[in-house]
Amino acid sequence: MNTFRTFSFITTAMTYLLIFVGGLVRVAGAGMGCPDWPKCFGRWIPPTSLDQLPDHIDPAKFNIVLAWIEYSNRLFGALVGLAITITVYLAIKHFNDVPRIKWTSLTAFFLTLVEGWLGSVLVDTVLNPITITLHLLLALVIVMLLLFAAQEAYYIEKQDLEKLSRYPKNVEWMFIVLAVSLLLEVVLGTEIRGGLEMIRMENPSVDSQFLLQMLGPFKYIHTLLGFFITGLSGLLWYKLVKTSMNPSQIISQSSTAILGLILIQIVMGELLVFFDLIPLIQLFHMWVASWILGLVMIQYSAWKQSQLSYE
Amino acid sequence: MNKNILTIILCIILLGVGASWVIQKANSSHDIPVIKDVPPFLFTTQNGESFSENELKEKITVLDFMFTSCAGPCPIMTNNMTHLYHDYTNVDEIQFVSITVDPKVDTEERLKQYANALGVDDDRWQFLTSDIDAIKDLKKNGFMLYADELPRGHAIKFVLIDPKGRIRKYYDGTDKASMAVLRNDLNYLVKEIRS
Repeated sequence: MNTFRTFSFITTAMTYLLIFVGGLVRVAGAGMGCPDWPKCFGRWIPPTSLDQLPDHIDPAKFNIVLAWIEYSNRLFGALVGLAITITVYLAIKHFNDVPRIKWTSLTAFFLTLVEGWLGSVLVDTVLNPITITLHLLLALVIVMLLLFAAQEAYYIEKQDLEKLSRYPKNVEWMFIVLAVSLLLEVVLGTEIRGGLEMIRMENPSVDSQFLLQMLGPFKYIHTLLGFFITGLSGLLWYKLVKTSMNPSQIISQSSTAILGLILIQIVMGELLVFFDLIPLIQLFHMWVASWILGLVMIQYSAWKQSQLSYE
Repeated sequence: MNKNILTIILCIILLGVGASWVIQKANSSHDIPVIKDVPPFLFTTQNGESFSENELKEKITVLDFMFTSCAGPCPIMTNNMTHLYHDYTNVDEIQFVSITVDPKVDTEERLKQYANALGVDDDRWQFLTSDIDAIKDLKKNGFMLYADELPRGHAIKFVLIDPKGRIRKYYDGTDKASMAVLRNDLNYLVKEIRS
């Protein structure tokens, strides 16, 4: 049992790192670094010089830096896929009688297969914007499932953790609305980015301020939904931390961390709008969003645990 | 606890530093090599104006060799070129040049019709013709492209030429991914000019 917990936490951490690497591929513009899939220029190890290119591939497509950035995402992705497979194996081995752990892990596993396939579709469609968004969305769902499974296993070992805490009962809808809004916010964010790229393609050197204005309503929906998310997570913090009896450390820390991270998100978002679309900030803006989603999952899992032990 | 937070922050900083290194590497990897100068030539456009290597100066040029009655890969190439022509409407720094390899059939008049059919309504896309030997020579020796058995044996390459009239890169004009690379390179060169 302990093996599963340790392993699933490591897998979750690795998946988070993979989301970061995936975002890096995007901001570095390396998505087409390898024009084929799963191999890169027909090789399992990307070519390091022009003469290693197979004849049927145009040398103009070859950019060694971009190829390796893209390929490191694939290699690391394969590694994470392997880790998730082992996690599922351990889940079935140790928690065959705990459906919520078994099935969450299995779902994560199947979604991972879909995710790999989506990666190949991305290359086939030369980075279709909708597929890019789906690719990210699925990664977020997978990481949330893994996190949930890991935490549930943790609670099976330490059943007393939420025993003394009493949280309001009728907040389940808030978790769901919050998670859905966050996912939607990520979609809007990537749409903004995708839209910017489309406009930029036609107007290569217009400055970003102007580009953002051209995007119109998208930007405002992103901001408005951001306000909503801030309000909702503030309310949830108030309910779970302030009006509850003995909120556990997990609950109070994750609730506070969510608010802190949202503050960071607002600052980063404004930086992107008012200064320049700095790739590094874009990358962290997306990554921190994935943390917030994970924290909401942690909150939910802890809340659920206390409800169960209460019953 | 404080120690944990410190470790996390340290990891994030390390990731950030690593990421910016990678992003910077990626940006500088777009540097496009200089291959050679386009040699002097003097051809005629679809409007009967003369067009020489001097017209390649001060502009970024995407150039290909084609002929209007071609049924093989040319429609795909023309389609790709048309997309570029329309997408870069607002970018005055970029021009497109198509040179016919079948001057017997592709007269000025014919090229003009062809241009009209593609919706070319300004001088950003020029269609050139000359006598077959001059075309063959420019193609073979100037652009180092296959030029035997014209018109059928024409190459499917798009050639990127910089504002100094130098050949920078070749692209497969029938391939979608190559077009994405070409767009990247075009944007990169435009940025370079404007800055």
